[in-house]
Order: sequence, then C-alpha cells, then structure tokens
Amino acid sequence: MTAGAIEALRVSLLVAGVATLAVLPPGVLCGLLLARRSFPGKALVETATALPLVLPPTAVGYVLLRLLARDGPLGPRALGVDLDLLLTWKGAALAAAVMALPLVVRSARTAFEEVDPRLEGMAATLGLGRLATLWGVTLPLARRGLVAAAVLGFGRALGEFGATVIVAGNIPGRTQTLALGIWGDLQAGRDRAATEMLAISVVLAFATVFAVERLQRGRT
Amino acid sequence: MSATLEVDVRLPLGGFELAVAWTARSGSLALFGHSGAGKTSLLEAIAGLRGGVRGRIAVAGRTWLDDERGVDLPARRRGVGYVPQDLLLFPHRDVLGNVLAGRRRAAGRAGPRLDPRRVLDVLEISGLARRRVADLSGGERRRVALARALCSGPEILLLDEPLAGLDLALRGKILPYLLRMREAFAVPTLYVSHEPGEVQMLADEVGVLASGRLIAAGPVGTVLADPAVLPIVRAEGRENVLRGSVTSVDRDVAALEIGPGLAVSVPSRGLAIGSVASVLLRAEDIVLSLEPPGGLSARNALPGIVRDIREIERADDLEGQVLVVLDLAGGRASLVAAITERSRLALGIDAGSRVHAVFKTHACRVLAAG
Repeated sequence: MTAGAIEALRVSLLVAGVATLAVLPPGVLCGLLLARRSFPGKALVETATALPLVLPPTAVGYVLLRLLARDGPLGPRALGVDLDLLLTWKGAALAAAVMALPLVVRSARTAFEEVDPRLEGMAATLGLGRLATLWGVTLPLARRGLVAAAVLGFGRALGEFGATVIVAGNIPGRTQTLALGIWGDLQAGRDRAATEMLAISVVLAFATVFAVERLQRGRT
Repeated sequence: MSATLEVDVRLPLGGFELAVAWTARSGSLALFGHSGAGKTSLLEAIAGLRGGVRGRIAVAGRTWLDDERGVDLPARRRGVGYVPQDLLLFPHRDVLGNVLAGRRRAAGRAGPRLDPRRVLDVLEISGLARRRVADLSGGERRRVALARALCSGPEILLLDEPLAGLDLALRGKILPYLLRMREAFAVPTLYVSHEPGEVQMLADEVGVLASGRLIAAGPVGTVLADPAVLPIVRAEGRENVLRGSVTSVDRDVAALEIGPGLAVSVPSRGLAIGSVASVLLRAEDIVLSLEPPGGLSARNALPGIVRDIREIERADDLEGQVLVVLDLAGGRASLVAAITERSRLALGIDAGSRVHAVFKTHACRVLAAG
C-alpha cells in the first residue's frame, strides 16, 4: 500500500468518525422531536433537515463555503474568532456531517416512532420524569434503530465528495479522503493508485456493514 | 375519612362524551359496564394519560385535577399503579427491572411502603427475577405487571380487566392472586370489568358505566341487582359466583347456603362453619336436567326456572353453545349454564322451563373466605 493511500484512509476514518459524532446529537434530537412532538414550524424543520438529501452536494458545499468565508455570517469577521474550518479536515467533517444529517434524522425518527408511546406513558404512571423515561425506556427501546442511524450517517460521511471538495479542497495528507483521492488519482491518470484506494474503500465498507450486522444480531 | 376516589369529569370520546360524577369510599372499587362504555377512558383520565379531561379528580383527599383551580398534575406526579389490559411491560428489562421501575417514587413516599421481596413472594414470582419478560407465560406476565404497580408506591391501583382475555384455567390462577393482594397489601384498588362475577368477587363498591354515563353506583350487592343494571349483568355474566355462609363442614365437603333453603355442596378447603365464602362455578360445568336426577355422583342438583336464553357473542371457547339463565329459590339467586344449542332444542328448554342444574362439588372453586 502506498503512503498516499494510507493517508487517505486515515483522513477518511477521522473525517467520517468525527462527522458521525458531530451529527448524532442534533440528528437524534431532531428525530425525537419530529417523532414525538407537534410544534409550530414542524414542517419547516422536516424540510430543512431533509434539504441536503435533495440539493446537489456541491450546492451544500457552496452554502457552507459562503457561511464560513471571511465575511460570511459564520466567518472570522462576524464571529470575532477564526473557526479555521476551510481547507482543513475539520471542514471536511463539517461538510460530511451536514450531508449525513438527513439520513440520521430520518432513521432516528423512524426508530423513535417504533417505540410504543404507551410504554412512555406507563413509565410516567410509575413516577418517572421525562429525562428518566427518555434514558430508561425510549432510548434503550430505540437502540437498534439509532445504531442503524449512526451507521448510515457514517457510511454517508465516508463516501461524501461534492460538499467536502468545496469546503476542504483535496489536499493529500490533510483533507484528501478516499473518495477525493480516487477522483484525484483518476484526474491525474494514476490508475493504479486509484484502484488501490478503491480496494481499501471496498474493504472498509464491507467491514463496517459486517460489524453492524454482528452488533445488531449479538444484542436483542 | 376522605373518599378513596372522587371524580367529576367530562371527556369527549369518539361517539359520545364521558361524563361521570362518582364519589366512592370503599378500598375495593369496580367500574362495570359493557365494553365500549368508557371504562378504560375513565381509568386513563384518572391516571393522567388522557388530554382534554375537564372537571375534578381527587384520590385519598389529594386533588389531581381541578380545572377551576388550575390543578392538573402530570401522570408522573399522581401516584397510580396502573395495569392496562396489554400490561405494557418493558420488553428490554428483566422481571426485577420491571418490578422495580417505580421504586424511586415508592422510596420518596411518606407512610408505609411495600417490600418488593414480599410482593414478589405473595405473587409467587420471586424465582423469575432475572428472567426476560418475553420468556414468561401469560399468567406470569400479569403477575409481574401487578407487582410493578404495587412496588411503585401507588395511592390507588387501577386494574383494567385484570382477568379479560385469559382462558378459564388461567383466570382461576390469577384471581386468587388478586384476592391475596387485597388482603396482604390493602392498597385501594379500582378494577375495571365487564364480568359481573369478577365485580362481585373483587369489589365492595361499584360504579356502572353505560355510554359514558354513570347509571348506578353503590354497594356491589345492591347495584348489580338494580333494575337498570340487571340487563348488563345478564348480557355479560358467564361465570357464576355463589356467595353464602358455610353451614356445615364434613371433611372435604362443605355446605354453602347461597339463598333461603338453597345449599350448595363445595370443597371445604379453608372454610369454617359460619364464615362467608365465595365460590366460582363456570357456566359450562353445569349440566341441565328436566327431571330431578337420581343415581348421579354429582352432589348438586338445584331446581330452577329458565328466565332467559342468551347467545354467546365473544366467546370462541364456548362455540356452538348458548347460555341458559336460571332463577333459583324464586328469583333470589341465579345461575348461568352453558349448553349446546342442539341439546337445548332436544330437551325443549326455553324461557319458563323447569330444570335442575347439576354440578359436581369440585366444579366449585373456592375463591376466598370473606
């Protein structure tokens, strides 16, 4: 394996891992709210969280770029601090997280909807508060679906290309993930290197799916 | 002493409005009525699981709902031990995890608390503590749900049809636990039931619901004989509960006087002369005879007059049979017998027929002394 491929694997795992961790709390919270609450603007939240699924990834990347640009609303001039996301692996993770959000929200919502709300009512009659019910009843019962949500998110982040390339560029050893690396190598005519990254991607995808299947079956 | 339960509530339901004002003082209450009368909805309103309830609810003197004073405690602050028909056990926890789910509230409660070990012992599920609830039998699951409700430190137990949907053998197994619970723990209890036999056995005071209205309330004996309630009793009853005093005990057989000059021979287990006892007699354990029977091993043959013949609606376990309602002792007691429609026609049994209800001593299950 070439050093470039190993670097791309490392960056891929880092970006997808951090993106998954970053997207889970807001994604699961959105899923919970959409599954259990009705509130004004619910349809808006539903649509907004689904947008990255429908928009071209490059468009999402461009929106992030404008937001984070020097004079954008989340840029150093507006915030007073430089988040230092553009052209870094953190920017790649942000782009991947945003792209993974719709899948995580949708799967989490389904996972929560499959929990019988009457079980939560039962918990309430036993004197359990909202948080205790969430922690002791809802989350454990939704666990399988939430694990699936995390895996889908991780998978989506692993394969992210369009938004990432705009926000983070394609810098080998820094922001070049496997997805970006394959494209870069193909553009440069390095077919062998591209094939190598392809092989790593296949192994990685296989291992992820396999691990999840095992995890799901191991616990009931 | 404050009332066990005071409700004066209104709640719009699908086809009608639930509007019930009932003040009950006994510790063993029942809500009786046809299915669809609003019994479960009222129970959920008391538990705080229903939105849109107007009016007032107070349990043991504590106000849980009073919309005029802006009081509406959420379910978690009301203190009910709720056992719905489908039990709602937590599938991800084992038996002990379920039973102890409400222990925090129980621990924070003033006054006497139930020891979970004793609850498990009385309900005979101590040996199941570490079992997954999915692996339990139907009867075990019911007892786990009862234990969970008891161990949560409730002000009142709300048991929704605790015996419905069970086959007759299982009913016979769960009933004694309910009676034992009442004796051992003395937690005020509201049973919901459409079976008059159960109501007689489990409760002292009953409220009768019909289409969301309380049509009668008071002591069980009086209310179930109320002309407004009798039609419901007749339409629902499929088990006989014979209640009377023990007039003699001869080794394993006792005589139970259930009406003037009307004695039934029952197993004597646990019965003393002079005590009051209830026995359960299933409708299908009764044989009807046109003549006074002779040369039979069955010791009971009660003469009666057929008051009514009823189709069996819901019961797949009694398919092809009809229920024959008998008046005994000139209408002071009654019995329900299940026979096949074919035998009924063959014997020409109809309203007004004089028959003898024959059953074995051991077809009577002694439910409780008292």
